[in-house]
Amino acid sequence: MGAWAFYLTTIIVYGAVDAMACMALNVEFGFAGISNFGFIIFQSAGAYAAAVLSMPPAATSNGGFQQYVLGWNLPWPFPWIGAAIVGGLLALPFVFLVGKRLRGDFAAVGLLVSAVLLNVLVKDFVPLLNGDAGISIVPAPFQSIWNPQALGYQFAYGGVAVVLTVLVYFLFRRLTESPYGRSLRAMRDNDVVADSLGKNLRLQRTTTLVVGGMVAGLSGAILVGFISLWAPGAWGYAETIVLFAAIILGGAGNHKGAILGALLVPLGFEEITRFLPPVANPTLVPALEWVAIGLLIILFLWFRPEGILPERRRILSGAPASALAPVPSGKDTDALIQLGNLDELNFRKLLRLEETANDHRVILSTQGLTKIFHGVTVVSDVSIEVRQGRLTGLIGPNGAGKSTTLAMLAGTLASSGGRIFYEGRDITDVPSNQRANLGLVRTFQLASEFKKLTVLENLVSAIPKQSGDSFWGAMRGRRHWGREDKENIERAMEMLGGFGLTQYADAYAGGLSGGQRRLVEIMRALLAEPKVLLLDEPMAGVHPRLAHKIGDQLTRLCEAGMTVLMVEHELSIMDAFCDPVIVLAEGKVLAQGTMADLRANLEVVEAYLVG
Amino acid sequence: MSSFGFGLITAAVLAIATVGFTMQFAVTNVLNLAYGSVMINSAFVSYYLNVHGVTAWVSLVGGVFTGSVVSWALNRFIFTPFQRRNLAPITVVIVALGVDLVGTFGLQAIVGGGYVSFRQSPGSEYHFLGMILSGLQLVILAICAVVLGLVHWVLKYTRLGKAMRATSANPNLARNSGVKVQRVISTTWLISGALCGLAGTVLAMNTGVFEATSAQLYIVLLLAAMFLGGPGEPYGAMFGALTIGLATEISAAYFSPQYKEVIAFLALLGMLTFRPYGIFGSEKTN
Amino acid sequence: MSVELSQPGLVLSTTALSAGYDGRAIVSDISIEASPGKVISIVGPNGSGKSTLLKALVGVVRVLDGTVSVGGNDITNLPSEEVAKLGVGYVPQIDDVFPPLTVKENLEIGGYLLRRSEIPDRIAAVVDRFPRLKEMMSRKAGKLSGGERKMLAMGRVLMLSPSVLVLDEPTANLAPMVATQLLEEYVRGFADQGSTVLLVEQRAKSALRISDWTYVLGGGRVVLDGAPKDLQENPLFVESFLGGSSIPK
Repeated sequence: MGAWAFYLTTIIVYGAVDAMACMALNVEFGFAGISNFGFIIFQSAGAYAAAVLSMPPAATSNGGFQQYVLGWNLPWPFPWIGAAIVGGLLALPFVFLVGKRLRGDFAAVGLLVSAVLLNVLVKDFVPLLNGDAGISIVPAPFQSIWNPQALGYQFAYGGVAVVLTVLVYFLFRRLTESPYGRSLRAMRDNDVVADSLGKNLRLQRTTTLVVGGMVAGLSGAILVGFISLWAPGAWGYAETIVLFAAIILGGAGNHKGAILGALLVPLGFEEITRFLPPVANPTLVPALEWVAIGLLIILFLWFRPEGILPERRRILSGAPASALAPVPSGKDTDALIQLGNLDELNFRKLLRLEETANDHRVILSTQGLTKIFHGVTVVSDVSIEVRQGRLTGLIGPNGAGKSTTLAMLAGTLASSGGRIFYEGRDITDVPSNQRANLGLVRTFQLASEFKKLTVLENLVSAIPKQSGDSFWGAMRGRRHWGREDKENIERAMEMLGGFGLTQYADAYAGGLSGGQRRLVEIMRALLAEPKVLLLDEPMAGVHPRLAHKIGDQLTRLCEAGMTVLMVEHELSIMDAFCDPVIVLAEGKVLAQGTMADLRANLEVVEAYLVG
Repeated sequence: MSSFGFGLITAAVLAIATVGFTMQFAVTNVLNLAYGSVMINSAFVSYYLNVHGVTAWVSLVGGVFTGSVVSWALNRFIFTPFQRRNLAPITVVIVALGVDLVGTFGLQAIVGGGYVSFRQSPGSEYHFLGMILSGLQLVILAICAVVLGLVHWVLKYTRLGKAMRATSANPNLARNSGVKVQRVISTTWLISGALCGLAGTVLAMNTGVFEATSAQLYIVLLLAAMFLGGPGEPYGAMFGALTIGLATEISAAYFSPQYKEVIAFLALLGMLTFRPYGIFGSEKTN
Repeated sequence: MSVELSQPGLVLSTTALSAGYDGRAIVSDISIEASPGKVISIVGPNGSGKSTLLKALVGVVRVLDGTVSVGGNDITNLPSEEVAKLGVGYVPQIDDVFPPLTVKENLEIGGYLLRRSEIPDRIAAVVDRFPRLKEMMSRKAGKLSGGERKMLAMGRVLMLSPSVLVLDEPTANLAPMVATQLLEEYVRGFADQGSTVLLVEQRAKSALRISDWTYVLGGGRVVLDGAPKDLQENPLFVESFLGGSSIPK
């Protein structure tokens, strides 16, 4: 009985530690889309921190047989708190790698290599953390008053570990099921678009890494307090791959999946081998374990990439899941789209537009805007003015620099020269997400929906100034943001009703037809409450029958106080709705006026017909 | 000055390995993190030929052959099918890590955990220009120089090499010009795999003793050299390898041999942070 | 020059062609024909499907319905390397050269399907046609000017002595002078030597000037076609660019 009881406590502690680590990595990878290939160093940093904070000074203890820094002799729980802090702080240097728009796999490689090299450093620089031998005789909490070898102590330790794991689970749920969690998943699905809707990618990634690092650090502390030693051998870079295997197996983007994965892979593998008969070759069993983990990763990614417990679809509309319309398929679904009661949408109320009359002041302008790509001047010295309350068109032959100009206005592309002014302020150097928050919102020419967010989530995610759309807002819980979120969902539903897509509210946006996705994008941009809306070929892929109806709504939006600048090649749209129309050709402004003016303008006719 | 000699060997072997690695990235956009495991498997095949009576230099051919076939198969049966599914590049990288585990530890399960070494004496020492090199090392240097020259010749002067570079630059246009792109990609993996096998085997010979996990950390040097020269650039890879190889050994001599990889590490992180497309590269490389 | 630059042309035609991405047609019901010795141009406003049509002809975009044939052979949905083998030379609008390869290497790749011994003569013939390229044989294609780059792109295709030349907006991003020269001297020149030339152009008037027959695309369909002279006098022609008639009601 006794041996089994001790074994049970060991399993409980290991299970809790692994579950914590997997949940933390899952928040980073499965929710925020950060492939942290160096995750294990965060856990390890926590373990070392807890060790050296709880141990006596190196010189005075143990006959000085091991070397390490600190040695502060702190009582529980300070070593554990310190471990969490160290784990969180360790995230900060890596923000430089993941904060910018570096290819996801390049950033992951950077983290992987960091893990490898930190391991080498700790191994070789003995005075820091006793090198390759590692730190041993780490005191267990309260060991002076309670024998750590006692069964009661071990169960109590396991109990604390489980309680902390449960707390972490609720903390993460609170985070990911909040509006902030929605923003994290939006960033995961398409970071450039999330940025254009005002999400601060760097801050979101930093927060995720710090929170994940803190939990990882805590898990390391719990482990080292129990096993009382920690050495570089325990945290080779491949340990991170084990955790990735666990998440892929259990289900990325699902906390319960992460826990399940933790119990199956790191814990399950470790424990099953205990029951194998001894073999002559001591490396055989561990080696086969690694092989099995590698195979699990490959096979799961091929046959069941969503894992055993897939990411849950969030049903926000309140409709029962069975009421979901089938996701459309086939090539002519776009012809079947029926818009709803669009004319009844009260944009001023729905989009919180200011109750002021249109004054047609210059709201957005450029001076000498220029873009040079690899030595080729794509936009050259463009100076334009966009007036408030007007629907301004931007046209020109292919390669005229229309989309590039729009991208520079929104900040998606940095300009190579010239200035951009918005509401009288020079915003040339303002990052794109801040421009969105100032009311300058763009759409994209190519499909840009957040695929694994529902249509409704896509829309709601764009609404600015949500009280639950920050880390601390999320932490204050549903009581803090719930009512507001309900209102936001109602607003989004109203918008969906207007565009006739109510029945797809809870469908994944990635499953819609091309035309429907265009509509989702337009609705999403509107809910970002822009003052100036920048549309990049919004009618491309929209059935011509609908294009004019949408054009009508753009006019209504302008009447309600919004300003629209639209790049579009369908000139009939320009004719019907846009005034003025600016013509770009070969990167320069060629003319400006109504379409009728332009058609009479020989230069424009030439530009379109001759060049 | 002797550190310069070591650096030269390190750099030469690294150059062979990095050129293969970067070529795989160039034609298929795969960061093949399983590269190290293919290297060490090749070394072991070569080693077993050697202990069964084949001279080291002939057994080297076995290593080269292994690397070539295994790499081709990896691309054909694992990476290409995954890429056809239009997954994020990170998924393929995770798959590659899985393959790395299977390759490295599958080998360990078979050969056991012990260290082995080739039956090949290092040969007598040669001194010149202040460097001390063994006969073995001189041969390795010569092989590397010849192979790099060969790679240069293939890339620059043969129909295949030009097709490889064209495929890497613009596969659609290459197809349009009548290039059988799939076949070129397969051939590229055969060739890069041969370089991988060669690098693994000579690395093992040069190190003296090795075991199944010996090449696990080599990927750091590979990545550093590749990113320094710009991912997907064979000539960049040679430059990167030379820089990293010399820098690690010289820093080992002047500071401490324990931290010699640190300089590679810093170079890699610096490149990723500031110039992810290499010192000479532009974003178009992507 | 003894080596002929291109072979006698073949008839390239489509019947009731629909093509597009993901099963969705961008162009529909297109029936056009291009014959030897003629420049046939396709013009139309942005987004009318001109490039998609060309890509469908050469096997880059999937044909959903209808057929494409060249010289009597059905080439519908043939892989593009096979289309190239049958004598159709396609010059895309962008990504038309291999930037890291030198001019000479670009031409050599263009002649990939030739026997090794034939290549130097072909290069000489092509360079003879584009003397500008002669001085920059060892320069990287990525460092050429727009006009030079386009000449190289055409030269690359000419390496295989194509019977049919398919050019997608060769004058895009070129200065007007260079554009005119390119069209009048080279593009027209190919047809005059007997090739079949199918040209998509943004600069409609310039295209008309060198064409024998012109199709106007709008909303993915042929809205107008005719001899250039007749088209120019047709008020519908300008309207199809700047008016509202291009949307099928």
